[in-house]
Amino acid sequence: MLSAQIESNPLLFPCHFQAIFVGFDSKPSMTPDALGSSILSQMTKLTSKPPQCGTCSTNYSIAVTVDSSLGCIQTRNLEDTSSWRCGSMGTTDFSDDEGVDKALADSLGGKVYSVVVVHGDREEVRAVVGKYRHAWVVGRVSEAEAVARAAEIFVKVFVNGGKEEGLIHGEFMPVGADGKIVLSFNLLNSDPQDWVYDWDFQSIDETLLSPVIEALESVANISVESQVLYHTPKSSFSHWDDEQESYIFSTKDLPFFVNSNEWHLDTSIAAGGRSKILQIVVYIPSARECPLLLQLPNGEISKTNGFISPMWGGVIVWNPKDCLKDSESQHPLRRTISQQDLQKVFEVVMGQFRQLFGLKSNNVYVGASGTSSLLASERGFTEWELDVLSRQHTCFNLHSCATTLGSLSRLVQSLPRMIIMDEIGKQVMYSLEAATLARSNASLGLYDSSAVSSRQARYLAEDAFFHPSIMSVSYYSFEHCFAVYSFRCMSS
Amino acid sequence: MRFKMYGSFRCRMVLLLLFLLLDCNFSNCLADTSSEATTHTNNWAVLVCTSRFWFNYRHMANTLSLYRTVKRLGIPDERIILMLADDMACNARNKYPAQVFNNENHKLNLYGDNVEVDYRGYEVTVENFFRVLTGRHENAVPRSKRLLSDEGSHILLYMTGHGGDEFLKFQDSEELQSHDLADAVKQMKEKRRFKELLIMVDTCQAATLFSQLQSPGVLAIGSSMKGENSYSHHLDSDVGVSVVDRFTFYTLGFFERLNMYNNDSLISLFSSYNPSMLMSTAYYRTDLYQRHLEEVPVTNFFGSVMEMIHTDSAYSLLSRKESFRVEIKMSADKSVPDKKRLMDNPSDLDQISELNIEDQHGALKRIWSTIQKEMEKVEDVDAFVSYGLVLIVPLLAVSMWLTW
Repeated sequence: MLSAQIESNPLLFPCHFQAIFVGFDSKPSMTPDALGSSILSQMTKLTSKPPQCGTCSTNYSIAVTVDSSLGCIQTRNLEDTSSWRCGSMGTTDFSDDEGVDKALADSLGGKVYSVVVVHGDREEVRAVVGKYRHAWVVGRVSEAEAVARAAEIFVKVFVNGGKEEGLIHGEFMPVGADGKIVLSFNLLNSDPQDWVYDWDFQSIDETLLSPVIEALESVANISVESQVLYHTPKSSFSHWDDEQESYIFSTKDLPFFVNSNEWHLDTSIAAGGRSKILQIVVYIPSARECPLLLQLPNGEISKTNGFISPMWGGVIVWNPKDCLKDSESQHPLRRTISQQDLQKVFEVVMGQFRQLFGLKSNNVYVGASGTSSLLASERGFTEWELDVLSRQHTCFNLHSCATTLGSLSRLVQSLPRMIIMDEIGKQVMYSLEAATLARSNASLGLYDSSAVSSRQARYLAEDAFFHPSIMSVSYYSFEHCFAVYSFRCMSS
Repeated sequence: MRFKMYGSFRCRMVLLLLFLLLDCNFSNCLADTSSEATTHTNNWAVLVCTSRFWFNYRHMANTLSLYRTVKRLGIPDERIILMLADDMACNARNKYPAQVFNNENHKLNLYGDNVEVDYRGYEVTVENFFRVLTGRHENAVPRSKRLLSDEGSHILLYMTGHGGDEFLKFQDSEELQSHDLADAVKQMKEKRRFKELLIMVDTCQAATLFSQLQSPGVLAIGSSMKGENSYSHHLDSDVGVSVVDRFTFYTLGFFERLNMYNNDSLISLFSSYNPSMLMSTAYYRTDLYQRHLEEVPVTNFFGSVMEMIHTDSAYSLLSRKESFRVEIKMSADKSVPDKKRLMDNPSDLDQISELNIEDQHGALKRIWSTIQKEMEKVEDVDAFVSYGLVLIVPLLAVSMWLTW
C-alpha cells in the first residue's frame, strides 16, 4: 500500500540531458567522458542545495556526443543511444532560428534536454533556446566556455525555467481548487460618448487562444468568456506631458487603476465555486485622456502599456488610432478594433498570461555566462516551459493536497462526536490514489500525466475537506450539549 | 444513535489509518515547501449585522456605513460579503422609505444605488456565517455568496449587534460563541484562507468574543471590554431610533477624511478612539499579529490596493506568414457565396500558398493547404453546391420515413 512507497526525498523528477559538440576538430583532448564529467560538475555547482521541489533530481544523467570530421564519439555508459546523426549540422544556416529549431527537432526529438554546441567561425557567440527541448550555441567558443554555457542552460533554463530560485511562488499558480481557470476577457469603453469599440473575439479565440489552451491542458482546464462593457472610467489620474504629447500615468498609479466600483467584471456564469477567474481587461480611454501611456520609473514609456496583478489578471490600455473624435456627429463613433491591432493586443495578453503563470513575458534569458534568446512558440509556451510548469504544478498540487488532508485529519481527531459520511472517506481514498499515481508518474518522468493526477488529487482533497456535511456538527460544543441536556434532566 | 456511532466509528478508523500512512508519506514533502512567504494579493471584507427588528436600526446603519467605506476605498462588491437582516429600509415604520441614515443630519443615504446584500433576512444564521468563513458550501451556492479568499488575502471581519460575555446574539434566536469563532478561524488558517485577518466587533463586551483566538496573523479590536456596554451615539428624533453606535461613528469619522491614496497606519486608527467619548474602552489584541501596527496602512484591510507588475514585453507568437493563415482561414469561414470570391483570385492564393507550404510546419497547415488545393480543383462552384443540396434531399426523406 502507501507504506511501501515512503520516500525520503522531496518530489524530484528524473531528467535526462544530452550535449552535442560539433566542429571542435582541433581539440583531440575532448573526449565525451571528460566533457560529461565537467558539465556534471558545473551543473552541480549551479543547482541550489537542498534541491527545490519540482526540479530535477540531482543525479543527473548526461550523454555527450562529439561530432567531428573524424566521426561521432559518444559516452559509453548509456542505456539508450543518442539519436544524433553524425555530420547532420554541416549545412545548416544558423541565421534562421526557426529553421534550425525545426531541423534539430526532427533529429533529436523526445524527452531529453539537449544542447548543441557548434564551433563556428563567427567571433560572436550566440545562444538560442528553441521551442522544443533543445538549445544551441554557435560561434567561436572555447571548450571551457562551451561547458559552462551548456551547464547553465541545462540548470537555469531547462530545469528552473529561466527563474533564479527555480520555484514558482503560490501567487503565480492561478489554478482553482477544481483544476479550472476561467479566462474572462473584457473590453472596456470608458466613455461611450466619445467612441464605442467592439472586437471580433470569436476569430481570436479560435486562432490564437485555442492552441494555448490546448497546450496548458495538463496544467489546468481553461475556459474562455468575453464581454464588452461601457461607462467604465478608471479611478486613478493622469497628467498631460508636453514632451510625449500624451497623457501619462505612472507605475505609482497602477494599484489604483482598477475601478472596482464601476467595472463589473466578475459576472461569470460558467465559473464554478472553486474555479479561478482571471480578468484580462482591454481598456480604451476617453477622448479627454487619449492617448494614455504608462511611464516606467526610469522615465521610459512602456512598450506594452500593460500590467498584471498576480492571481487577478491583467490590464492593457489601448489607444484608438490618432484619438480622432468626430465632434460633429451626435451619435458616438462605433468602430471595431482592426485585426492587426487586435493581434498586437493579444501578443501583450500572451505576455501577461505567461507572467501570471510565473514565466517571463520577454524572450531573453540573461545568465552568468551570457545572454540566450528564447524562441517564442505559437502555443504561447514552449515544450520545456510546459515541462517546468507541469513539474511545479504537480509539486504545488501535491503539497496542497497533503496539507488539506492533514487539516482534515486533525479536524476529525479533534471532534470525536462528529459523524463522517462514507462519501468523505471515499473521496479521501481516491485523492490518495491519485496522489500516489502522480508520484509514480513523476518518478517515471511523465510530467504531463503527473500534473493531471496531482490536480485530481488536490480536487478530491478539497472536496472532502469542504464537504458541506462537516459543517453541521463542528461547532456543536460540549458545553452546549452539557448545558442543554443537564437543563433537560433537571426540568423533567 | 448506536448505529450512527458505530458507522461513524468505523469510518473514522479507516480515515485515521489512511491519514497516518499519508502523514508519513507526505511529511517529507511538506518539510521542503512549507516556508514560503506569501504576498498580499487581494482584500476581502465580511460585514455582518446580527440583529433584526426596527429598534436595532443602528446595527444595520453601522454595517452599511462600513460597507460604503470599504467600497469607497476600493474593495469591489465581488469581494465583499454583506450579511444583513435588511428589514429597515422598507420597514413599515420607516418614515423615509428606502433610505437608511447614520446621522440625524440625514446627509448620507446609506441605502443608495449600489448596495449588494449577499445574505439577507433569515439567511443570516450562525451556520451560514461559519459556512462563509470556512468555505463549506453546497455545490449550488453561487460565487457571490462565497468567501473566495486565498493565502494572499487580507480579510476584514466586522460584526455588530447585541453581544455578551463570550457570545454574540444572532437574529434574536441563536448565539455565536467565542470558541466557535476561534475554531472557525483556526480552520481558515489551516486551509490558508487568509494571510491576515482583522476582526472588528461593535457590541457590548465585544473583547470577549475574540478572547479564545489562537491563530497567528489575526488582529482584533472590540468596542468594549468585559463588563462594559457599548453605547449608541445619538438618537434621531425624526426617524425615532438611534441611528449609529459610538464605536462605529468614530471609526467612520476617521475614514471620512481618507481616500484610496492615503497610507495612515492602523495605530492611528486604534489610538483615535477616546474612552471618554466612547463611554467604553476600545480594546485590541495584537499578540497574534506579527507586524507592527505603525507599519500597516489602514488600506491594507479597509481598502484594496493591489500589487501590480508591469508587463515588459509582448510575446510575439505570430510571425508574418501566420497572419496570412489567420486571414485566409477567416475568409473561408464565411458563407458559401464567398467561395466564389476566393476562387476568383487563384493566382494570388497560389503564390501565398506556395510560400506557406515551403516554410510551414505543423499538420494543421498541411491539411489546410490540401483542402485549398482540392477547392481549386473544383471548377464550377454552383454545380458543387447544387450537387450537395440534391444529396441532402433524399437523406432528409429517409430520416423522416424512419422516424414515422
